[in-house]
Amino acid sequence: MTTLQLDRVTKKFKADVVLDEVSFEAKAGETVVIFGPSGSGKTVLLRVIAGVHEPEEGKVLLQGHDMTDVAPEHRDVGMAFQNFALFPHFSARENIASPLTALGKSESQIEEQVHSIAQLLKIEHVLEHLPRALSNGQKQRTALARALVAAPKTVLLDDPLRNVDAKLRFEMRLELPRLLRRFGSTVLYVTQDYREAMALADRIAVLLGGEIAQFDTPESIYLRPDSIEVAKLFGEPAINILRGKVNEQANRVSVNQNQFIMPKGFHNKAGKFCEIGIRPESIKLFREKRVGAISYEVITITPLNERSVVLLRSQEGLELLATYPAEEQTAKIGDAFWGMVVPEDLLLFEIETGQRCLSERN
Amino acid sequence: MSSTSSALVAPKSGRLRKKILPYLLSLPALLVCIGILIPFFTAVYYSMMRFRLNLPYLKGFIWFDNYINFLSDPAFWNTVQISLVYAFLTVGLELLLGLGIAVLLQQPSKFNNIVSVLLLLPLMTAPALASLMWKLMTNPNFGILSYLVSLLGFSDFKWASDPSTALLTVVLVDIWVYTPFIMILLLAGLRSLPKQPFEAAALDGVPQSFIFFRITLPMLMPYLLTATLFRLLESIQQFDIIYSMTQGGPGDQLMVFQVQAYLEFFQYTNVGRSTALLMVLWAITFALSNVFIKHWLRLRERTHGNG
Amino acid sequence: MNQLSKPQRVFRGFLLGLVILFFMFPIFWIFLMSFQTNEQILRIPPSIFFEPTLINYQALITGRLETQAGNLDIAFMENLWNSVFLSSSAVLLSLVLGVPAAYAFARYRFRLGEDIAFTILSFRFAPPLLVLLPLTLYFEDIGLSNTYTGLIWVYQLISLPLILWIVRGYFEDISPDIESAYRLAGHSWLKTFLKISIPLARPGIAAAGLLSFIFAWNNFVFALVLASADKQPVTVGALAFVTASGIQYGQIASGIVLSVTPTLLLALYAQRYLVEGLSLGAVKG
Repeated sequence: MTTLQLDRVTKKFKADVVLDEVSFEAKAGETVVIFGPSGSGKTVLLRVIAGVHEPEEGKVLLQGHDMTDVAPEHRDVGMAFQNFALFPHFSARENIASPLTALGKSESQIEEQVHSIAQLLKIEHVLEHLPRALSNGQKQRTALARALVAAPKTVLLDDPLRNVDAKLRFEMRLELPRLLRRFGSTVLYVTQDYREAMALADRIAVLLGGEIAQFDTPESIYLRPDSIEVAKLFGEPAINILRGKVNEQANRVSVNQNQFIMPKGFHNKAGKFCEIGIRPESIKLFREKRVGAISYEVITITPLNERSVVLLRSQEGLELLATYPAEEQTAKIGDAFWGMVVPEDLLLFEIETGQRCLSERN
Repeated sequence: MSSTSSALVAPKSGRLRKKILPYLLSLPALLVCIGILIPFFTAVYYSMMRFRLNLPYLKGFIWFDNYINFLSDPAFWNTVQISLVYAFLTVGLELLLGLGIAVLLQQPSKFNNIVSVLLLLPLMTAPALASLMWKLMTNPNFGILSYLVSLLGFSDFKWASDPSTALLTVVLVDIWVYTPFIMILLLAGLRSLPKQPFEAAALDGVPQSFIFFRITLPMLMPYLLTATLFRLLESIQQFDIIYSMTQGGPGDQLMVFQVQAYLEFFQYTNVGRSTALLMVLWAITFALSNVFIKHWLRLRERTHGNG
Repeated sequence: MNQLSKPQRVFRGFLLGLVILFFMFPIFWIFLMSFQTNEQILRIPPSIFFEPTLINYQALITGRLETQAGNLDIAFMENLWNSVFLSSSAVLLSLVLGVPAAYAFARYRFRLGEDIAFTILSFRFAPPLLVLLPLTLYFEDIGLSNTYTGLIWVYQLISLPLILWIVRGYFEDISPDIESAYRLAGHSWLKTFLKISIPLARPGIAAAGLLSFIFAWNNFVFALVLASADKQPVTVGALAFVTASGIQYGQIASGIVLSVTPTLLLALYAQRYLVEGLSLGAVKG
């Protein structure tokens, strides 16, 4: 059942179009991540759903009702802000209790609910403190508690892990899904971090320049990005994009003098130029020659967490980034490798539009 | 299904209410605005009339005659002169004194803070009452200041009753009341200046006077300008102090704009002349305050941008 | 900063001493005078050592003065009460009217708001008599001459702009997210304004209120023009006091002391707020 729906929502600030006919929906209990670079309009989108901003055009529907003109306090929405927005003159307890006081609950009920959620978020020992006496992590969890305590139907989280130190961010990334599932609300989560998006989302709405570029499961977005822009946003290091020409038989694509085996079903591209995308981790590296592999020399090596990133250059001048697990190979600069790409891992994009080419199969 | 009945109750009215709210909230401020503008335009109107309260049948529209008559009226030019002299004298002296005191109190120490609080007090005194205080102190018969001055050889110093020393007396009162204002402003400015340039200068062994004139003063310029404009605007319209002290006398020694206008209205019941005089004053202050507001808005952006 | 040498510090102390002497002396001296009889005052050379007497204050407070020339009724206490009543009422009204308006100017950009703010701002420095003199004539016509209502309304010209000026800045400093968060928690706009916006702007409201009270109390020309003897506050009353015959100098002094003490005490008690309000009014806004 759809509990949240945006219907061609447009939001302008003076002449600036921040959201351009944005439409998507979320089902009950689903976590939708709104992902995009800064300035793409993610926060504005959340605020339109919350009722803080009014859209110039379009509708916001919650639980099937048109809420576009409804004041924020009547929308049954809980929101956690990026900079916490805790009430500075209320204790943490009072902050968390504020949605409950609005509902007119009794003292004991409020006490009980505040206590239980504080326990859940491990902040019951700082409940009496004022926000200025809390650490960033505690503020963030207080803000979360406040957003969740009244079990609203819709929960909006605006990059809650942004202002929190790396270690805590990592912990919370594991804890959050569990926490959110417990409440069963529909969650809209805004982030600029693609790993966060992929870890938390049931579906991701990629927001670019005020428009939704793709709305899909994380897996689909990663494996089947709709455009070069989307492909570049997911994955680190970013996907390799090369200009290539498909041969007449549509079974090989040449990038200058190097050739890659094409995936099947792209006969409509025979003889044409296109952009090909190769994810660094799709390049399989071997020390010995394999059929269909290209010979490369290692130019640079950069350790990156649990992997290393190598810049490879073929004899014909083709440069690619590839990765391999750190413990597997001990490569040095100047080493020779043979690299192969499984044809199905090759992504093709139109040159003019950057849109992904679909094979005749799908 | 889901029950958000309260949401259904407040559809279109939400948007309308949101639009009206700011207007509703600022309604009283609007009323005050009207309360200012109506008398103002009435004054403009009256200033272009021949209108004396004791000769109502002579009331008539004469356009700019009042203003033209001013040009050949020695009393008018006396008013202009004395007002300008008063304004520049008080503001100039207060700037120097205020700056000096601010520099003395620059370091945030317990003693300095106590002194700055004490110096607030004259500013919080009603200027009219301050004038009275000084009037008592300069009374020729028992005033402490008359006594002290006589010790210095000036017997029979008439202070405010003497045309040659009346200006000095009121300027003194003005300085007493308003120097603390400038001091507070400049002190806030001094204490908010960044430390690095001064540390660098100290390291380079730059002499104190150079630091003061070439580093401190230029950085203080926004505060100095604010203080000057603010005070000039007030000083040229000074009423309380002068009226309390001498009602504009002795003779017409201290006939500044507002005192003159007041007497024209209440003593000579000449509404036309008094409003015309006030319009001239308004024109001066309007021009000055525009300069000030533009400059102040720029300053506000700067502090808000950094804050 | 660099440390001053010993002779420099002594010199600085000396200069500060002169400064303190100049600014504190009048208050100190009038204070002394208020405890002196006429004979003590007229004695030459004047001395700071004398036998203090409460006779001046007594005369003022009881409202009667007994002299060799006869008994005199003094209405000074009435003036004092007028000051208290007028200033408090004016400031209270200004706060009730001005705080919501300041909020509107802070949060919303609307044409009318900009116009109002501009008008009030530009008249901040206009000569008061320009508005007061025509007002005198109007007041006569509509029967507001020498009424508390009329005076409290006119006092708004002093206190309202100040409150708008100062409080607006404080509202602007509150992050709108905090207010949104309270709305999203389920509270109406009004509740948000009362429970969140106003408490968070309280220092500014206090500073503005205090400053307005002091300015209203110290006001002279408004009351001079629009009030007659029974409604006059101390600023005007004191002057009338001086020119009346038969008043003794000690009483004038004690009248002045009673008139300035409230604002001086307020200033001392709330000096932090005051300095903030003053420099805000001039610089930050």
